[in-house]
Amino acid sequence: MTTPVLLITFALLATLAGPLLKGRGWVDRSPRLGILVWQALTASIVVSVILASVSLALPVMPVLGGLADFLQACAMVLRAQYSTPGGAVVSMAGAVMAFVLGARVLYCLAIEVMSARRDRKEHIGSLSLVSRRDPTTDVLVVDHAVPTAYCLPGRRRDIVFTTAALRVLDEQQRQAVLRHELAHLHGHHHLVLIGANAWVRAFPRIPIFAMARVELGRLVELAADDRAAAGNDSRLTVASALVRLAEAGHAPASALAASGTATLVRVRRLAAPAAPLHRARVALTMVAATAMLALPVAVTATPALATVQAQTCPVEFPQSV
Amino acid sequence: MHHLGHLESAIMDLMWSRSAPASVREILVGLQPERELAYMTVKTVMDTLHRKGLLMREPDGRAFRYRPTRTREQYTAAHMGEVLASGNDRRATLLHFLEQIPAEDLTQLREALNQAAGPPAGTTQ
Repeated sequence: MTTPVLLITFALLATLAGPLLKGRGWVDRSPRLGILVWQALTASIVVSVILASVSLALPVMPVLGGLADFLQACAMVLRAQYSTPGGAVVSMAGAVMAFVLGARVLYCLAIEVMSARRDRKEHIGSLSLVSRRDPTTDVLVVDHAVPTAYCLPGRRRDIVFTTAALRVLDEQQRQAVLRHELAHLHGHHHLVLIGANAWVRAFPRIPIFAMARVELGRLVELAADDRAAAGNDSRLTVASALVRLAEAGHAPASALAASGTATLVRVRRLAAPAAPLHRARVALTMVAATAMLALPVAVTATPALATVQAQTCPVEFPQSV
Repeated sequence: MHHLGHLESAIMDLMWSRSAPASVREILVGLQPERELAYMTVKTVMDTLHRKGLLMREPDGRAFRYRPTRTREQYTAAHMGEVLASGNDRRATLLHFLEQIPAEDLTQLREALNQAAGPPAGTTQ
């Protein structure tokens, strides 16, 4: 019974870690690391809940018999290791829950992938009617009065500028915007967002997934800004392109305006860059992220390993070992 | 598929540049100096455009005459309207360079930039 309890405790703790992670300055200093940590955090929550259900279900799972045969003994001990007070009923409930959760996650992921693909296909259809390809830069240009730029990820990668955007930016700024969008495409940032969307769709009531989606959306922009700044040489160019486009195309007060806070953070960060994270700290954070993913798996496997080591269960491995 | 996409936009370009409705034959002639096309190919694509709501048509003898349902400007405005609106939802269809920002937040942006750039050299407030 300890295994599922540990796993659920771990999931709860990880859920609480979200708000702590959100306020941290280092995440903005190294957005790519931040992306990794948020992904590890959200994935580890889902994995540990699914594994908790699996471990409840293990006593009734045929795989356990197979495992025991493989170990040439120990079915009893193994069952005892994973046994729950509720017995078969609890185990069946665990099996159902593991199946439902797994299916739900896969289903939501599929929905997100397909709807993004469908939207893009539709978009490409109308885009091809209203755009022309600039032969020198290979970007698509749409004749429109709102200055903006965006990219279309996926198989047909394309970067789109409006004529107004080309007009208000100078050559260096245009290059900076182009590098930002290329960074989105090369970094497969749309997949990061699709993953985050899928978690939210699968678990709409759990706030940490919504929080992760907002943070990941913000962090991919910061990561792309860093790439566009090409080291530190053109940080101010990227910042000035942002301000220039924002000024030339500001939304009418009532319309679809989001608050400018996110953009302000980007400009400040580009204008006054913080020192990059120390290597040791990066390495440590990577280890922590890996541990977050490995821990639930380890916790689930421990009773089985304990069984193997228990003296009551003499295991004879094949001779090659 | 790719080829048909090109043909769709070539046909719409022609349709938008004309003031009067056009038959399939006329569009075929208009496209022909540059491409070898069969009448049925053009007709199929124009039927598709009609089905998609981009062209409307009225009978003219045994055939139809087509014209765009919206001007290029209207169509572009609708397209870009969707693009701009998608800046604030979180679907992973497009990735924008920046979100639309309300006017009252612009001064702060400009200030943040100017502070870093130091005393404005050559630029005026």
